[in-house]
Order: sequence, then C-alpha cells, then structure tokens
Amino acid sequence: MAASVAKSRGLAGLLVQAALVVIVLALPLALDPYGYPLFVATQLGVYVIAAIGLNLLAGYAGQVSLGHGAFIAIGAYATALLTVDQGWSFWLAALAGVALSALMGVLMALPSFRLSTWYFAFITLAFAQVFEKMIVEWRGLTKGFAGVVGVQPPSVFGHVLEPAGVYWLVAIIAIIGFWLVNNLVRSRFGRGFVAVRDAPAAAQAAGASPARLKLLAFVIAACFAGVAGAFFAVQKTVVTPDDFTAEFSIFFLLTVVLGGLGTRWGPVVGALVFFLVPELLTGLESWRMMVYGAALLALMLFAPHGLVGAARSLFDRLRPKQAGQTTQPAETVQPQGAHVERPAISGLSLEVKDLRKSFGGVVALGGVDLSVAPGTCAAIVGPNGSGKTTLLNVVGAYYRRDAGAVLLGGRETKGLSPQQIAGEGLGRTFQTPRLLGELTVLDNVLLGAFRRERASLPGTMLRLPGAMAEAERLRAEAMELLAFVGVADRADDLASETPHGHQRLVEIARALMGGARLIMLDEPAAGLSMTELDRLEQLIRRILALGATVVIVEHHLDLVASIASHVTVLDRGVVLASGAPQAVFADAAVMAAYMGERALNEQASDQLSDEAAGEVARPRPVPAKGA
Amino acid sequence: MDIDILARGLVAGSLYALVAVSFNILYRPTNVFNFAQGELVMLGAMVFASLATVLGWPWYAALIVTLLGVGLLTLLIDVVAVAPVLARSQHGTGWVITTLAASLIIANGVNRIWGPDPIVVRPPAPLTTDTFSLAGMTVSAYQIFLVLLTVILVLAIEQVYRTRQGKAVLAVAEDREAALLRGVNPLRLSRWSFFLGGAFAGLTGVLAAPVLYASTGLGPALLLKGFAAAAVGSIGNNRGALIAGYLIGVTEALGAALLSPGYQEAVVFLLVLCVLLVWPHGLFGRPFARTV
Repeated sequence: MAASVAKSRGLAGLLVQAALVVIVLALPLALDPYGYPLFVATQLGVYVIAAIGLNLLAGYAGQVSLGHGAFIAIGAYATALLTVDQGWSFWLAALAGVALSALMGVLMALPSFRLSTWYFAFITLAFAQVFEKMIVEWRGLTKGFAGVVGVQPPSVFGHVLEPAGVYWLVAIIAIIGFWLVNNLVRSRFGRGFVAVRDAPAAAQAAGASPARLKLLAFVIAACFAGVAGAFFAVQKTVVTPDDFTAEFSIFFLLTVVLGGLGTRWGPVVGALVFFLVPELLTGLESWRMMVYGAALLALMLFAPHGLVGAARSLFDRLRPKQAGQTTQPAETVQPQGAHVERPAISGLSLEVKDLRKSFGGVVALGGVDLSVAPGTCAAIVGPNGSGKTTLLNVVGAYYRRDAGAVLLGGRETKGLSPQQIAGEGLGRTFQTPRLLGELTVLDNVLLGAFRRERASLPGTMLRLPGAMAEAERLRAEAMELLAFVGVADRADDLASETPHGHQRLVEIARALMGGARLIMLDEPAAGLSMTELDRLEQLIRRILALGATVVIVEHHLDLVASIASHVTVLDRGVVLASGAPQAVFADAAVMAAYMGERALNEQASDQLSDEAAGEVARPRPVPAKGA
Repeated sequence: MDIDILARGLVAGSLYALVAVSFNILYRPTNVFNFAQGELVMLGAMVFASLATVLGWPWYAALIVTLLGVGLLTLLIDVVAVAPVLARSQHGTGWVITTLAASLIIANGVNRIWGPDPIVVRPPAPLTTDTFSLAGMTVSAYQIFLVLLTVILVLAIEQVYRTRQGKAVLAVAEDREAALLRGVNPLRLSRWSFFLGGAFAGLTGVLAAPVLYASTGLGPALLLKGFAAAAVGSIGNNRGALIAGYLIGVTEALGAALLSPGYQEAVVFLLVLCVLLVWPHGLFGRPFARTV
C-alpha cells in the first residue's frame, strides 16, 4: 500500500513536471516575438542553466564557487570572439567555450581539491577578480572596455534563429540540463557528492575518492557555466567586461542559496524569484550589495535550504499525520534479521608488522604486531589513548604510517589510498557514526556500493537501461542488507532521524554493501542499550558465520570475551599482551593497564592493612576520555 | 634591474603578512577563515583616517578606538554569522557564505558612509612618508618602520602562543572536545580569537593607511593577497606568513615592473596556484589534521 502511494505521488510529480515543460515551451506563443518579455525569459533560461551547475557544485558537493561569473565569462567571450572575429559557427564556438571553461576550471582548482573547502572558495574568488582585470588588460584579444559587439544568433539547418528560436533552444537545454543533473544526484555520484560534503571519511570508507568527486562536480559546473556563457553572448549580442564583475558571481551564489542549496528545484526557483523582483532591486541600486549580503546571511541562518527547503518543511508540518505514515517505535518492532540469507564471504587475513606512527613527539604506535586469520574475530583493547583507533586509521591508510608493514590478504598496502584499500575489501565503521544525515538510511547503505557500481557517468546521467538495471539490483541488495542487520523498517527514514543504535547497524550494512571481506568496527558497542548490545553481538556472529574477518576495537570486555578468538592489548602504542581472551584477561599487566594500578592494589589490599596499601599504590593519571 | 622593486616588495609584503597573521589569529582556535577580513582591514584604515585626519584626534586615541571598534564588529560577526552556522554543521559551506555576506554588508555600508574618495593619513611624528635614498633604494622613514614593526609583531605573537593561554588556543585547534575536557572553554576562546583577529585586522588597516591611503576599495585586494600569504606560508604559521608575504610582495612588484601594473594580480595568482599545486599545505609545514 505504501508502495502504491509512493507510485501515485511519483505519477503526480511527473504530470506536474510535464505541465511545466509544456508551459515553458509554449511561452513564446503568448509573447511579442521581438519584445522585452521574451528577451527576459531567454535570459532567465541562461541563468537557470548556470545555476543548475553551481547548485550541483555548491549544494551537493559542498564546494562553494565564489567566482562562477568568470566561467560564464569564458564561455561568453570564447563564443563572441570566435564567431565575430574568426567567423566560426556558433555551435563550434560554443563547444570551444565550454571546453575552455572546463579546462580553466580544472587547471585552477586542481590544487585546492586536496585542501579544505574554503581554499576552493578563495581560489575561485581570486580567479574571478584576476579574470575581470585580465579582460580589461588584454585589449589585443578582448577589445578592452569596448567589448565584443555583434554576436549573431545560431543557425539551425541553415536558418538563423529568431529570438523565439533562441528562447526555445535555451529552454530545451535548460530542461535537459535539469534532467541530467537530477539523474546524477540520485545516482551513486550524487551520494558520493553528499558524502564528500558531509563526511569525507565515509566517502573514502566506501571507496570513493573525494578529490575526484570534487573535480567531477566542478567540471560539470564549469561546463554548464560555459554553455550559459555561450547563450549569454548570443542573447545580449554584446559582451563587455562590465557584464562580469564580482557582483555577477555573487548574484549566482545568491540565486542558488535563495532557491535552496542542494535541492533539485532550488536553482530554478531561485532564478525565477530573482527575475520576479527586479523592480524591487532597481530602486535600491546603490544598496544592492548590502541587500545581497543581508539576504545571503539571513538565508544561511534561517533557511539553509532556501525557499524550496522552507516550503518543504512548511508542507511537512501542515500535512496531517496519516495512519500509514506513523512508523512504529523501534522498541516494539525488533526484526532480528536472522532469517535473511546472505552469500558467503571469503574473509581477508590481516598482517601488521612493527607498525609505527608518531604525531609530532607523541608516539601513537611504537611497533605494533597483529595477525588476524581469515574469517576470525580479533579484538583490540586498551585504555583510551593507547593507539587503537590510530591503528585502524593507519591500516585503512587514513594516516600515513611512519614504518612497518600492513598486509591485507597477503598483499602489502603501502602506497594505496583509503578508497583503494576499501576497494580491496576492507570495510569499517567509525567511533561516531559517519552517516549522511540528509539522505535516507537506504541511500546511506547504497553509498557503500560506490566502488562496486559499474555504470558509466553518461549511462547514469542519461538513465540508460544498463545503469538503471544495475541501480535497481543494488537497491534490492541494500534492502536485503538492511534486513540482515535488522533495520529494514527504517529504510526510508532520514539517517539523522535514526536512533544512535540503529546508526551503528546502518554503518555495518554500508560496509557489507561495499563488499567488505574484513570489517573493522571501532567501538561499535559504545552508547548501546542492553538489548541493542545483544543484537550487535548476534549480528557480528552472523557476519563471522558468513566467513568475513572482523577486527573490533572495544571497551566492552564481556562482548570481546564472548566473540573474539584473539585479543590484543595495546598500551601507549605497544602490544602489552596478545592471545586467547581468557589468557589475556587473566594477565596482571593487562589489568594494571586497563584499570590502573591503584584499582588492582585496592583489590589486593583487601588482605592488607590500609596504610600498607597507601604505600604501595602509585596512582597513575588515567588518560581523559578523548573523542 | 631597479632595486626599488625590493623596497616596494618588502613594504607591500609586510602588509600582506599582517593580513595573513590576522587570518591566522582567528583561524587557529576556530578553523574559520574569515572572508570579511579584507573589509575589516579597510574599515580599520577608514575609521582611523576619519578620527586622526578628519577629526584631528591624537593618533593613540584614534588607534585605540579603531582597534576596539573593529574588534567588536568582528565579535559581532562571530555571534551573528559564524557561531549559529557552526552549531548546526561543521562543514565549511555555511560560514564561507555567511562571512562573505558580512564582507558585502561592511563594504557597502562603509562605501555609503565615506564615499569613494581616499583620505590621506600622515604617520605620527617623527615618522614621515618623505622619501630619501638608502643604499640605492627610495624609501621613507615610515616604510622602514612598517617593515620592522611587522617583524616585531610576528615574533611577539609567536611568543604569545608559548604562554599558557596561547597553548590553550593551539590545544583547541587540535582537538576541541579534548581541550574542553581539560578545562579550556572553546567558545570563549573563539570569541576572543574573533575579537583579537578583528582588532589585528584593524591595526593592519591603520598601518596600511599612510602607505596606501585610506580608501573604501582596499578590501578585496588585501583579502586575496592576505590569503595568498597565509596559504603560501602554511595556514596558522605566522613566520611562514611573513616570509610568504615578502615573496608575494616582491613577485608582485617584479610582475608590475616587467609586464604591466595591470598584470600584478595575475602574477600573484599564478604564484599561489603553482605553490599549492606542489606543496598543498604551503611552504612551511603541514598541520596535523585529525580525520576520524
């Protein structure tokens, strides 16, 4: 029944979209073919094209371009100069403009993709500023302030397009662009973009390269800007430096923020609203940047998802709660998932030899050895700050090792990136779950399959049958895995609205979705209730039964003793003890490291006199519980 | 080649280094790179120029009011534009846009109050901007003072980071939660850093005014060159920023002399791109980044 509701809603959405397309395409019939409204409508289409690209980049991939106007300028100038001066056809010139725009984008942004988000913002801002100067300065090419005059409209089959024809061309390109980007953000690439924005480590754990995804988003955005620029030149017929000031870039940013960053309709709504209120802004001409600034600030503070986001949350609040919608509380429905059959996993072995890692003067790992046989469960325990998580991070290549060997399935992993190691079959969960809060639980699991999915970028954007079939298959598998870990009833909930205990299970499902043959669990039991703990233990047993290898970092010693076949105790970066759980936990040195010597001595002091205990006890500061 | 290029490069480079240091002061405990910083420098120059030149206040009074005013405004930026966004989400998209918005508001506001005409600011006696010849370079007493003062300020700030409070700042930069557990209040430190980073930007504006004149158009160029000095010199590293500032100042002066003044920004931009391509974390070390 829920499926049929969703289907009918999808059908309604499709009808609305079809109606919109008809209205957009029929518009010139109602307007003066050479009039101002048609001119404005064409301009709106041009801006929508650029905004769609910027929304993909800033909204989904989280890379704010503050100089997007410069990329539109590249497309516009290339088209204008090549058609007017060189006599190229519009189509060829526009293609060159798009290619140039994308190329400049790659060259310019290549360094910043390895760094924090704001580097990219700064570099695009600087680029726009430099580019604006260069247009004026490089008079020999760009004709300076005079600009390029007399850009001709394109011809189709030998006919030079009338204004209405240009409008239709722009409208069709905007609609196709909207559709392509829509398909993209709903695919593995879209999930990858959001992961890069919200949890880069999760992207890497799923085998996705943040740098490549950022580059992809930027190239696509630059291409859209180039296309917009080409039509900008045609539609205005004149291209001058005054068209591409810093203000122009800010305008695009505001358009996207106003509509709603990271929403599908945001760029369209934003551009539309901006064009509906031009009178308001002409009266405030000299206040314009102040208005833009205040609007950006207010939107980011009070409506981070813009008009679309605000409308959606209003709609959600007003909509009466339907009976079918209220999901039952987690505690009453307890699907155990034991019934779900999963194919066997051929577990990977892990061999760590003399692994060393220091941070400045602090030795986090001082020569650690660890050996985990395929299909077994090894536990790493030790007080906080003993290097457990660092060990996981070095094994997963999140940190570069100083020295030592890590062999995964017998192969040395030196030089591999975290995403490559994930591709080798290493899955992991995080101490604090790294889920993408704005995506559904199901999408979070699907993120895990990023590296497994084979469909090409064009196949995904064009919804080719092969890509669709693969996506469908993976979706079914993700549902199955959610059932396997026992949270299938939460598949359509937003990850941010899922209880903490479930988030941990979703992370395990995500790792399994990635085809993990060795799973590293970083304190999976932290913060779980007794029942949740029980379910976790059962789940780990079932994963082991499939044949996967499990490495677990855990403070919960009962859990460790019950599931691990091998325990390694770390203390201040070195292995204190290692062996079967019973033997290790009986070791006095281990107990001393874990509980502090005082605790042990107090135990022992039951037989001793009080003052004698005071003599022996050498209290050692217990490391504070770090994050 | 003209040795004056070196003098011009060092003077401009000192100013870029000061802007970079103001970025760093604010960045270290907060991990926020304030996009309004360029306009804050501009505001400092304008406020000081108005008080000292137009109203005829003594320079020290004008200086104190300028530093307090710009510092408090920056604190306001934190309270209004940065802290609420950071409370919601740690990823950078939010504060990049909100600090940019603050920058737009300040720029437009200041422009409306003061208009586009630059104000000439004379340095306090006995310093003058009268030029004389020194080892073949045309320099002024104020320029020498500016270069020396910049070095002293950078070294002094490095000393501050060695104190207990300074170490607390570094601890918060490394790990906010862990620092919290050791009794350091990150929120209060953030507020202080915004105030001090803003006050330092105001000071930079005051120092820049006699060289560049106080003008409402100073912001964007200083923002980007300050960023360039901070990035090339490794974010958070003040000595690195000083050397990178010189490097950028001299490169820019060379570009202007050899090509044309119109190309100097392009030259600096290319330099930054090339450096970041080879050394993504700048020339002076990479900070330890906590990932997971």
